[in-house]
Order: sequence, then C-alpha cells, then structure tokens
Amino acid sequence: MARINDVGGMQGFPPVAQEVDEPPFHADWEAHVFALNRALIGRGVYNLDEFRDAIERLPPQEYLASSYYEKWFRAITTLLAEKGVLTEEEMAGG
Amino acid sequence: MSGDHIGPAATLAAQVRHLEGLLEQRGLVDATELDRALEAFLSGSSPANGARLVARAWLDEEFRSRLLADATVALPELGLSMGGGLQEQRLKVVENTEDSHNVIVCTLCSCYPIALLGPSPTWYKSEAYRSRVVRDPRGVLREFGFVLGPAAAINVWDSSAESRYMVLPRRPAGSEDADEQSLAARVTRNGLIGVAPV
Amino acid sequence: MAERFGPGDRVQASRTDPPYHTRLPRYARGAIGTVMERQGRYPLPDRSARSLPAEPEPVYAVRFTARELFGAGDHTVTVDLWESYLRPAALEGNR
Repeated sequence: MARINDVGGMQGFPPVAQEVDEPPFHADWEAHVFALNRALIGRGVYNLDEFRDAIERLPPQEYLASSYYEKWFRAITTLLAEKGVLTEEEMAGG
Repeated sequence: MSGDHIGPAATLAAQVRHLEGLLEQRGLVDATELDRALEAFLSGSSPANGARLVARAWLDEEFRSRLLADATVALPELGLSMGGGLQEQRLKVVENTEDSHNVIVCTLCSCYPIALLGPSPTWYKSEAYRSRVVRDPRGVLREFGFVLGPAAAINVWDSSAESRYMVLPRRPAGSEDADEQSLAARVTRNGLIGVAPV
Repeated sequence: MAERFGPGDRVQASRTDPPYHTRLPRYARGAIGTVMERQGRYPLPDRSARSLPAEPEPVYAVRFTARELFGAGDHTVTVDLWESYLRPAALEGNR
C-alpha cells in the first residue's frame, strides 16, 4: 500500500511554481499549527514518526488538495482523536 | 498574509483557534510555549547561515575539507548548529564541481536544513518538485532558469532519514578579490538547495 | 549491533510494500545501489510510528543510477536508508 506522500518519480505533476519573497507562513493559523505541533511533540503526546504517518494516512484526494499546513492540521486532529486526547465532537465544536 | 479570509480558509482559521483553546483548557499547551516554539523556528534560522559556511569554505581550504568531511562538527567553528529542531540532525554538505552538480529534495515529506536555510519555501514541499526532481533534475533546474551544461553530472540527494543536506556551490568567476561578507551575500537559498548555480 | 555494510558495498533495497509508515521510497524498491557512507544510527521509523520499541540501527547513504531506478536518465539519486531496508546485492552476473 504505497502511500500518496511517496511521490518520488511519479508523473503528471505540473512545473514547479516559485513564489517570490515568500513568508514562512501565509496566514496566522499556519504559524499556530506549526507551534501546536511542536508543543504536542515536545510534550510526548505523539512523536514525529507518528505525525508523518498521520499525514501519509490522509485520503489521497485530500492529501493532494490540501496545502502544507492544512495537512499538518488534519494530522494533528487525527492523532489527538486516536490517542483519546480529544473527541471528534469536541474538536468540531467550533 | 492575514487579512481577507473567505471560504475554507476562514473555517480553518476558526478550527485552529478552537483546537488551541481546547488544548489550553486541558493544560496540554500554553501560550508561552507556543510563542517560544515559533521564536526558535523563525529567529536565527536563515539562509545567511548557510551562506556564511559557503563563503568561509571558499576562502579557507582547510575549513572546506573539514566541512565536507564532517559538517556537523565544523558548524560550531562559525557559531552555528543544527539544533533547535525536534530531533538532533546530522548535516552533510555536498560540493558542486565542474563535473558534478548536486540538488537536494525530500521526496517523502519536506525534510530540510532549517537551521542553515531558514523555513523552507512552499515549492520545495510541493508534490511537483518532490516527484520530478529525482526523475528529471535537469528539467527541473531549467524551470528555475538554470541551464546546467551537459558535462556536469547531477547527483540528487533524497533526505529520507536524519541527515540534512546543503549544497556548497561553486565560487563565482570574478570573485577573487571579494571579501568574506560580500562572498556570503552572493549565495542564495536556491543555490544552497541546488536549483541555482550559487 | 555491528554495521553490516560499508562504503563501496553493493546493496539491494527491499521490495516490500509495507502497510505502514516507512522511509524507503517506492522508486528505490528492489533497486541495487552502492553504499556511499554511513549516516549514523537511528531507531527504525517503521516501528516508532507504530509505538513499537526500536533500537538504533545503522543508516546508509546509498547511491542509485537513474537508469537503475527509472530505466532512463544520466543522473544519480542518493537515498538515506536504514539497514533493515537493505540486503547484500546478488553477484552482478546473476541479474
């Protein structure tokens, strides 16, 4: 079951698009996702390998359609639910 | 660029805020911790660090040898380190020559020497780059406006484990009289990744 | 655990397509390459991603030709591979 993240050599992707003078984060929420992930891994809620694994387990269509930090956010919520830290309902509470 | 959030992005921002609130309530994160994580990531990590290593290597033959032999150990000579990340990483510096050119990728995710190059650009993390550079590196370099001569062989490095890679570009012609600072100023992030000559 | 491989050794990457997280890219599966250098010792991520105990094991930078990987191309691709992903390559004459 080779995963969707394993794209080395895969054909059909478009030319590489560069953004001039790109900032590290394109929105505040991205910076927050970054920091949340660091904090949760630092606390041992999950480890880096589990985090990568959770990103890789995103459904292929979702993986390809999501921006970089969206993938991170999905992986974090997946892990928090799987580890019993928070429930889906709580996280959807909004 | 925070500003107009419409559609899915607005929902995502709200979801992130909501999650952060829940985690703070549970005592799993606190605001200070989050600020510190961001600070560590953003400050001190910059391609200027990699550029300094390159400039020193261009000027000091023995430093260059040490850097190529064991980059992790050579870093502290310039007050640099690979620390600050989640895991202690090794650094491997690979040298461009007349006959061989190097380019770095992480096909599986986005591994990148953040301490020396700063946060990675979106294109480096894209499926387009990750899929194509291992298969057609010369074509990808052309997309960056870099036409590599046919005599130079290309080595692609896929950072699939704990080593992080940085390219030591060739010293530009006509830079013989430049001092270390102006040499460093000529080194770009794209050159350190290998998608530009310097 | 002593290192099984050293620089210059010819190795073959596993053909396994595991149902879990791994750091052997699919494009290198089954490919034969040359060990360039050792890259330290780390726990196998295939195990730590599943919360299984993992002792550090050697990691190697292994160089493959584009021809070996994709059937075309004149470049090389060097991948950092855990020892568990590798076995000695069969003698060249047998391929």
